Order: sequence, then structure tokens, then C-alpha cells
Amino acid sequence: MQANPLGLVFFPAFDWAISPTHPEREERLLYTRDQLVEEGLLDIPGIHEYKPRLATVRDVERVHLAVPDVSSLITDAHLISAGGAITAAEAVLKGEVQRAFALVRPPGHHAMRVVHGARGFCTINIEAIMIEYVRRHLGVGRVAIVDTDVHHGDGTQDIYYHDPDTLFISFHQDGRTLYPGSGFTQELGSPQALGTTINIPLPPGTTDEGLHYVLDELVLPVLDEFAPDIIINSAGQDNHYSDPLAGMAITAQGYARLADKLKADIAVLEGGYSIETALPYVNTGIILAMAGLDYSKVIEPDCKAAPMTRAANTAIIQSIVAEQKNMWLRRNELKSKALTQAGEYWERERNIYYDSSEIMEEQVEYLRLCPECQGFMTVKTQSNGQHSSYKSAFAAVIPRQPCRRCREQAKEAVETEKRRGGFQQYILQDRENDVVERFF
Amino acid sequence: MLLGIDVGGTFTDAVLISGTSILAQAKAATTHGDLIQGMLTALDKVLNGVECHNIKRVSLSTTIVTNAVVEGKTDKVGLLLMAGPGMDISPLVPETPYLLDGYVDHRGREVVAPVKEQVEDACRRITHTDVFAVVGKFSVRNPIPEQAVAARVRQCARPVFLTLGAEVSGALNFWRRANSAYYNSAVWRHFGRFAESVRQALAVRGITAPVYVLKADGGTLPLEAARKYPVETVFTGPAASVLGIMALDAPEGEAVSLDIGGTTTDIGLWRNGLPLFVQRGAMINGYPTAVRSFWLQSVGIGGDSAVRRQTRGELTVGPDRLGPPMALGGQVPTVSDAMIVAGFASFGDRAKARAAMEVLAREEEEVGLVAREVLDVAAEKIAAAIGNMIAAQAAEPVERVEDIVFSKPISPGRVVGVGGAAEGLSPLVAEKLGIAASVPKGAMVANAVGAAVAQPTLMVTLRADTDKRYFTVAELGIHAPLEEKRYSLAEAESAAKKYLTERATKEGMSVGQAEMVYKEEFNLVRGFRTAGKIITCQMQIKPGVLTGVTAEGGETCRQTR
Repeated sequence: MQANPLGLVFFPAFDWAISPTHPEREERLLYTRDQLVEEGLLDIPGIHEYKPRLATVRDVERVHLAVPDVSSLITDAHLISAGGAITAAEAVLKGEVQRAFALVRPPGHHAMRVVHGARGFCTINIEAIMIEYVRRHLGVGRVAIVDTDVHHGDGTQDIYYHDPDTLFISFHQDGRTLYPGSGFTQELGSPQALGTTINIPLPPGTTDEGLHYVLDELVLPVLDEFAPDIIINSAGQDNHYSDPLAGMAITAQGYARLADKLKADIAVLEGGYSIETALPYVNTGIILAMAGLDYSKVIEPDCKAAPMTRAANTAIIQSIVAEQKNMWLRRNELKSKALTQAGEYWERERNIYYDSSEIMEEQVEYLRLCPECQGFMTVKTQSNGQHSSYKSAFAAVIPRQPCRRCREQAKEAVETEKRRGGFQQYILQDRENDVVERFF
Repeated sequence: MLLGIDVGGTFTDAVLISGTSILAQAKAATTHGDLIQGMLTALDKVLNGVECHNIKRVSLSTTIVTNAVVEGKTDKVGLLLMAGPGMDISPLVPETPYLLDGYVDHRGREVVAPVKEQVEDACRRITHTDVFAVVGKFSVRNPIPEQAVAARVRQCARPVFLTLGAEVSGALNFWRRANSAYYNSAVWRHFGRFAESVRQALAVRGITAPVYVLKADGGTLPLEAARKYPVETVFTGPAASVLGIMALDAPEGEAVSLDIGGTTTDIGLWRNGLPLFVQRGAMINGYPTAVRSFWLQSVGIGGDSAVRRQTRGELTVGPDRLGPPMALGGQVPTVSDAMIVAGFASFGDRAKARAAMEVLAREEEEVGLVAREVLDVAAEKIAAAIGNMIAAQAAEPVERVEDIVFSKPISPGRVVGVGGAAEGLSPLVAEKLGIAASVPKGAMVANAVGAAVAQPTLMVTLRADTDKRYFTVAELGIHAPLEEKRYSLAEAESAAKKYLTERATKEGMSVGQAEMVYKEEFNLVRGFRTAGKIITCQMQIKPGVLTGVTAEGGETCRQTR
């Protein structure tokens, strides 16, 4: 029995926790470790284990606008989990393995472009850091991210909301019933990237059947058409029927078949807090499926506890899939309509809640809808927290391949705001040259 | 006096050690097919004129089990597995197993009990053998179901031997335990016959001292105990040399050891004065097992390695052997010929060794230079392999943030060389690494010395779950309730030590230096409340030697830089 070459970065961070009794604590991957080691999975020919590297602050700043700065917001563990994702991606892109799974913590998919602290257990977005790393260093262009965590991947959505080269698909428990309360069907991306954000909010109690309907009818055909260079799976495991923080009904078999069909190049662990009943089995299933091995015997001891499919849910799921299929078909038409409507600048004003750090952020984004490049953007941000003082920043972002005008305007914007004053710091994120400048 | 015998691929070496010095040494050709003949020849040579009652201990390092596996002299095994949910290992074990219902989960809970009728049915079907192995997933967390199945098998099939998974290793890894248990039963009969002839041969010679057998982890087992765990005695040759280095010239801190023989060099990395172990266990016949073994990398460079001048001008060394050195009448230039010409060795016909270098010489090239070049190429290959090992060690996955942030790759301070070609090659390897080299006196018989002075090793794994209120000691088949809810790591440690002593006594060993190999403590949180602790500690009697040994001549090592 030979596995398809699979890279595995397993980093349980047994000495790291948000707090001693927090769900994101030392013990989280203990039972998973026990199961994987007991199975002998790490000894299977074709499964190659990798030690995660440490990502650098520069790797983080390529993605995030951290306020006041990266170092004061993160721990070494964050750099290791981001580094683990990079290690996994490199192993695939350098041809050492066919696919890779970064089974790492802490997670990252709730971390948005601007970071003042931790949201939904996440401080930095490990998938985005990985993606921008491989774009910078390994020449990757088009990327698709499929977020299979039960919570809407609002951080990843935010980071790629204006990027037509990154397809972000998230299915999750309906935001009206679960944190972070977003991820509705009308969130489609800003005008020039319209249709490259696809949300599939599912009713609580969705089973394997519903999930695979979404996959077969919507996710797989869209991926096929988008034709990305690489597919990333944000592999949260909290859609499991036993998860204590959510209300879905997916089984280990459901997750394993998902991994089998999706054929992601790189999977990165996100949430999943049924650490004893779900994670050991779900992870075993995903690894076997990604390695092309038989996963049919991966069945939870208490699988009889998984709820049955409800007819009402089936109808809801069918209608959401139909709505998004229709959107996808009409995306070009919708996009030009949105562009015309918006004019030269697109603006968004938001309040962002950081539940883990107890912070409220107010944010205003301006994006230039540039016909020649992805357009420069500016962000005004200020935050106030239960345990932190007032913080503010103005940032301008020069896109990866800017036109001259966007490049100049971004720099000018920073200069203008500096003269005007009113912010604690001014950040110029130059993604073309991969540098970040800060002025105080 | 201590008697040590090492059965190698080509030669069988015997040494007699008195106090801390080598009293006698002898060599005989290894007799493949019937190893005992060569052993007795070496034994009789070394015992020449010795009063046998002065021998306090006999220990053997033998390839008997390795050979049995390679030559297929193993028995079929009735392999019964309780695989539970997860990966299907049926295609991954040496023989088609009988899968039984019943399994234990990762917390040690028996989720489904084994079914009596299924076991009986399996026993009825297994008619081709009388040795069995019973292995359950997570049996190290709860060995009771495995024991229950075994009891049933003993009643129904009346096997002559049966191995339990939890007994062969207390560590997680069902697949490895299954392979270990399988091979333990498969070689049992063959090893038993060997042990019996050893016993008889020694009795005939009036040797009544206790007999020990070396294990792959460098420890020894009393011969009787080894009959229960014969699989542990695979790959003892390289382990014997490592123990020999410990006795002759133990490195402190971080080091590299080289055992440079006729065709291969076995490289070992040392940290804190101990050789590193293979992660998880040794491979036997292509199957990963739970047998603890030193981590030794073999490169195809030895004294007899063939040397060639390639058409593009460069010299290549090994990895093949095409007969003995030309100095000993061979047809092809070898590393040994280069060593003789370069003055590192003085056996055989020097003129023929020079002729060998002339075969390799380019026009007008001086043979001394050619010899240096040959040794340089050989040393380079070994140095490169050492570099790869250090890199591989540094790339081994870890589980903690601090292990990533603070870990440093091994930085050896010294090369210790043993084996026939060590004199010539290890100083050159050390030079390439920019560190010191030493070749202890007695390096030629380091293997037999290692066997002679090796101490017993033993391990127990104690795991306590204070939430479920039980603890296990897998190797001893113990699964018992915890009286105290407030059980601490310190208590677990002292309990582990107690069980280690208990196990040692049971196997007829003395407890040497016990040390904690691994410990782990997790708070178990349920619903934002700490519900208990999961504590694991593994305690071992670590590999070591009864005494340091010096070879005749006083000076123990030759330092070069």
C-alpha cells in the first residue's frame, strides 16, 4: 500500500493556549496526535512529515496592517503556525509531494487585513500569509480558497475582497445563528472582484448529504471554471455533529469524502473544538483521503449520535445553491453593473468586533476602481478595547502589480494624511516592492 | 571475567575482559546456516587456558533473528487484530490478519467488547501454525481486551507461544506493535532452538555464568527473558559496536561515532553522551516495528570498498565490494590498499598495495598522492552522510513552541572511530568536519567488547487519566483504578520507577540507572472547567556499560586535529 505523496506538517503547540480553559488550549490536538500516532499514519510510505519553519514578521506584514505593529500582537506560536502553512505549500510547489496538510494551531481565518488583536481565536491569517508568500517567492498567480470551517471565514474574505485573482468560497453555518454573524449570499466581493467571493450559509443541522450537494452542484463546478493554479482548503472541522460551539451534523466520513473530492493542493487546519470525539477521526479521514488511501473505516465510535437530514434543510440548501449558481453565471454582467454604479472609488465603513481581545474597531476603506490594475486602497482605522488603549492608523496599500498612477496616489495619500495629522501612525504597504513603511 | 561474543556478517569476534582490560580476543569466520559453529570456534580460541568458573557473565550479540527473517526461517503466525475504526492495516502487516470486533478508544475506554465466538471461530480457522499474536488498537491505553482475547485463544487453540501487543511496546503505534508482535512470534521457535544450543554448548565447557543476549537498543536481556522477546534481538551487531565505543572511549556531549568495517560505515550521532535512537522503532524486513534501536546510518564505504578511476578522471569509492584488498591477494584496488600505502595500516603485501595505487594513478602520479586522494574521497562521502544525518535530526518534527524557538542542530565535538578501517579514515572525516578524532585502542574488537560489558535496558510507560480515574502500565499489562483524583506528575514518576524495578526483578535484571525518557502532562478541560489531568511518563534503564575498558598498551586514544 503506497500513499500518494502527502506532506504533513503536524504542529500541536502543546505549550500554547489563549488561556488555560479556552477552547484554543494546549490539549486541543492531543487526542488527534494520539490517534494519528496510534494508527501509524506517519509511518506510511508516501506520507512525509515536515517540521514547520518560523514565518517572519515580514511574511506577516505582506498581508496585514497591524496596529500598532506585528510583534506586539503575536506570539512565537503564531509565526510557527503561519510558517507551518508556508512549509506545507513549499513542499507541494517544489514538487516534493503532491499535496500537503498543515495540521497546525493557532488558527487564522478570522484575522482580517487590519489587525488590532485577536478575533475568533485568530490573530494573523495563516492561509493568506502562505498564499502571499508563494505568490511572492514561487510565482503562483490564481488561487482558490475553500473554507470548510463552520464559521464564516470573514478574515480571509476581507483580505481577498478586492482581489479578482483569488476565489474565496466559504460554506458555514448561517451567520444569523453563529459567530461571526457574516457570510451571507450578497457578500460577493467589491465591484472589480465581484463574484470571486462566494458564501454559502447553511442551516443548522446540515448533514453530509447537504454538504455534498453544495460541493457537487456548486463548489466543484465553480472551481473547475475558475481554474486556479492552486486550491487551498481552510480545513476547519467544527461542522462535525459533536462540535460544542456549533450546530451542524457532518461526520468524519463527510469530511473525508469532501477532502477526496476537493483535491486541495494544500489544506490548513482552522477551527474544530470537539477535540476528543471529532478531531481524531476527522483528521485521520482527511489525511487518508488526501493521500489517496481507503478511509471507509474511519467512523466515530458514537456516529449514531449524528442527526438525520431534515427535509426543510434540504429545500433551503437547494435554494441557496440555485441562487449562487445563478450569480456565478451572471457574474460578468453583475460586475460591470457594479463598476458603473460605483464610479472611480468604492467605499466601505464598518465596525469590527474582536471577541477574543474585547476590542471594537471602526474602519473606513477607500478603493480606487482602477481599469489598469487592482487599484490602491486606503484604510482609516481606530480601536478601543476593554483592556487596551485607543489606537489609530492610516494606511495605504499599493497592490502587487500597480499602475503608475495608483502607486503615486497611494504614496500621496499617506503624505497628505501625515500633514493633516490625527492618526497615531501612517503605514504605506508597498506590495509591489514587498516593503512596509511606518511613520509616526 | 566477562565474556563477549559478537556474530557479524563476516567474522565472529570473542573477547574476554578482566577488570577493565581486554585479556584475550579471538576471531573466527561466521558460519552462516549454523551460527553456533563459528561462535564456538571463537569461544574456544578465546578461552584457551582460562578457568571457566572465573567467567561471571556471558553475553552474545547475534544475527540469529536478523538472519531468520532475511532467510525466511520464520513461522507463520496466527495474527489477531482488533483494529477498531481508522486506517485498515490488513494489507500492511506481514501476513493476512484475522480482524476481530472490539476496540478501545484513545482515552482507553473499551467502546466495543471482543466477541467470544469470533475469537473461537478464528482459532478454528487458524490451523497452519501454533504461534499467535494478539494486538488491539490502543491496547497500551487498556490492555484488558487484548488479554481477554489471548485467554480465549489459549483455551481454544492451545498455542505454544503467544505475543500480546501491549507487551512488546508501551508506546502508541498499533501498526508497529502489530508488526513487532508478529515477528516476535514468528522468530520464537528459531530463537528458542538457538538459545538451547547455546545453553548446551556452554554447559559442555563448564561455563555456568548467566547468559545475556544483546538487544537493538544496546541493552541486554537474560537468555531466558530473551526467549519471550526474541524480536528485541534484531540488529544487535551495530548496537554492540556502539556499546563498545561507550566502554572504550565514551564521548561526552555531542559527538559522531563511526564503525568502519569491510563494506560499510555505520554512523551514529550522540547527544549528552548517549547515542540517538531511531524515532518510533526499527524496520524489520521492510515493516516498521516498535523495536527500539540506535539510529545508525549505513554508508557503502569500508576497507574493502572497490576504488575506480572513472573515465572522466575522478576517483570513486564503493559502494560495492569486489573481493579483498589487492594487498591480500584481491583483484581490485580498495580503501585498505590506500591505507597501507598512506601508512595507516600495515597488513598484507605492501608492494601489492602500491600496485593497486598504480592502477589508479594518472600519468607520473606518485602512489602516495593517489592513496591520499582515495582516502579523501572516502572521507568526503562519510562526512556528507554525517551532514545529512545532522540535517535530518534538526528537521524532525516537534510538538512544542519552545522546541522550535530554542532547538539547535547537533554540533559534534569529536569523531570516535572503531572498526578495521577507522585508523585511516576517521581522522580524515574529522578534519573535514573541523573537529577532533579519536580511535581507541581495541577499536578492532569494539563490537565484542560492547557485547561483553553491555548493561540491561528496560522500559515502562505509565499513563494516568485522573478524569477517568485509572492508570496503565502497558508493558506489564496493568490497568488499574487510581485511588487519588489529585495525582501528580511526581507521583506518576515514582510509581513508574516502582514498576520499572518490579519488571526488572521479574526478568531477572538488576536496576541500573533509571531515567525519565519522556513526560507529558495535560489539563483536561471540559466546559471551561478543569476535569482532570492526563499524565504520561516513560522511564527506562538507559543503555550503558558495566565498566570502561582499556586495551593493552596503556594509551587509550590517539588525538588528531
